[in-house]
Amino acid sequence: METVLNIPPVVSGIFTLPPYDQIQPKLLGGVCPTCNRYYFPRPRYCKGCLGQTEEISLGSKGVIYSFTVIRRKSPLGLPEPYSVGYVDLEESGLRVFSLLDSRAIAQLRIGLKVRLVVEPLGHDGHGAPRLRPYFTPITVG
Amino acid sequence: MPSAAVIGVGMIPFGKHPDRSIVDMGAEATFLALKDAGIRPPQVNACFFANAFAGRLFGDMTLGQHVFWEVGINKVPIINVENACASGSTAFYLAYNMIAAGQADMVLVVGAEKLYVPEIGLINSGETEFETQLGLLASAGFALRAIRHMNEFGTTPQQLAQVAVKNRRHGQLNPFAQFREPITVEEVLNSPMIVEPFTRLQCCPNADGAAAVIVCSPSIAKKLSRAVNIDAAILCTGSYENPQDLTYWGTDYRACGLAYEKAGIGPEDLDVVECHDAFTIAEILHYEALGLCAKGEGGQLVERGETMLGGRFPVNVSGGLLSRGHPVGATGVAQIIEIVTQLRNEAGARQVKGARVGLAHCMGGDKAADTKSCTIIVLSA
Repeated sequence: METVLNIPPVVSGIFTLPPYDQIQPKLLGGVCPTCNRYYFPRPRYCKGCLGQTEEISLGSKGVIYSFTVIRRKSPLGLPEPYSVGYVDLEESGLRVFSLLDSRAIAQLRIGLKVRLVVEPLGHDGHGAPRLRPYFTPITVG
Repeated sequence: MPSAAVIGVGMIPFGKHPDRSIVDMGAEATFLALKDAGIRPPQVNACFFANAFAGRLFGDMTLGQHVFWEVGINKVPIINVENACASGSTAFYLAYNMIAAGQADMVLVVGAEKLYVPEIGLINSGETEFETQLGLLASAGFALRAIRHMNEFGTTPQQLAQVAVKNRRHGQLNPFAQFREPITVEEVLNSPMIVEPFTRLQCCPNADGAAAVIVCSPSIAKKLSRAVNIDAAILCTGSYENPQDLTYWGTDYRACGLAYEKAGIGPEDLDVVECHDAFTIAEILHYEALGLCAKGEGGQLVERGETMLGGRFPVNVSGGLLSRGHPVGATGVAQIIEIVTQLRNEAGARQVKGARVGLAHCMGGDKAADTKSCTIIVLSA
């Protein structure tokens, strides 16, 4: 049986991999130890000093900066409709492009606090399932 | 004194051309430009050919050599150019610089594209981009800007729709435009939702098409009465700094500023503008970057009719991408052709009276919430 554990990530190195148990999945990025500059995704070289970047957790929380809903035929086996947006990450201040929870479209608004979820979502373009990260509203209480 | 001039233009109507190849369409546009300029093939010193999607859709490469040999041009340097939606205007930028550098006297710029193919779907930036894998589409990138602009500045769905209505009114007057039926704000807002807040009539349609211009040195141009001067040709690339403010493209402002400086003009000097209205919000953001209004007031500018033919700043009198359709590689060249036609006083029913200075603005690609390329071409009669 196919479990989350043997479904590959859609892009490697941009989020922590399961099993998560009680731990939140986190986005992964890069930081330049010399310039203290943050990146998502992690680049090979720092754009400022061309030094090697180091992998760093970008946490799992943020705030929606903008969002939209795609109402036409979805690419890559994504839900119909589905939502994407930019999220301002709490820890690094990076503004990252991401999928948003397609089951929570009615709740989405600018300024909403969200947290990261990683689940099998859509495919790789050839029908093979892939793990994708998306942000979901943080429920109050 | 200008460094180069446009002396010939040619294009085929944009639309569905199911029986025509990219080479066939490109060759006809080139032929028409040669005839318009009264130039014979041996007089051409170099050629640039712009196309964005033939590699992906048809497995084609180096199509320029095929196009130019169809009109008897061989042996000279031929360069194939891809810069997304700004491919055609980037080719023009290269031709201008080649002439300004004294490396050629007569250069052809041709853009051609064929997008009416089954199952093309909504356009993205390519499968290797991580953002594409996370569901980003070109339309969604613009939609995220629209939502943020509406949130910060109170831009309304009606104002967005007015861009489409205006450009269609203009498109009615352009025999080269693909869609020429008038539309109302209600029809725009009631057309099927594609990517919120854009309904179908707020997204530029695909098209097949080709467009060609001939650029030459001032010494040749000064003997020709229909020559149009090139006062600036600017190409800027994105900054990709994080975070990006989605209510504008810094790259747009940079390119416009450089173009005004180079041409020695300001927005008040512009008689006619073509800009990259791929989606309605884009035109509003470009008004602001071009300085036609203050930041955040682009929606009000179109609402007041100031960018309509007859208004203070006529924008996209060709009908824009929204009416003409967007054969990606040909679009940037078609915009330049519209400005040249206006400055030659040959635009017929859509002529801006007494137009002396015009600007063609184009933008291509999306990366890290920034544009990859922005071109500004300033032309004068």
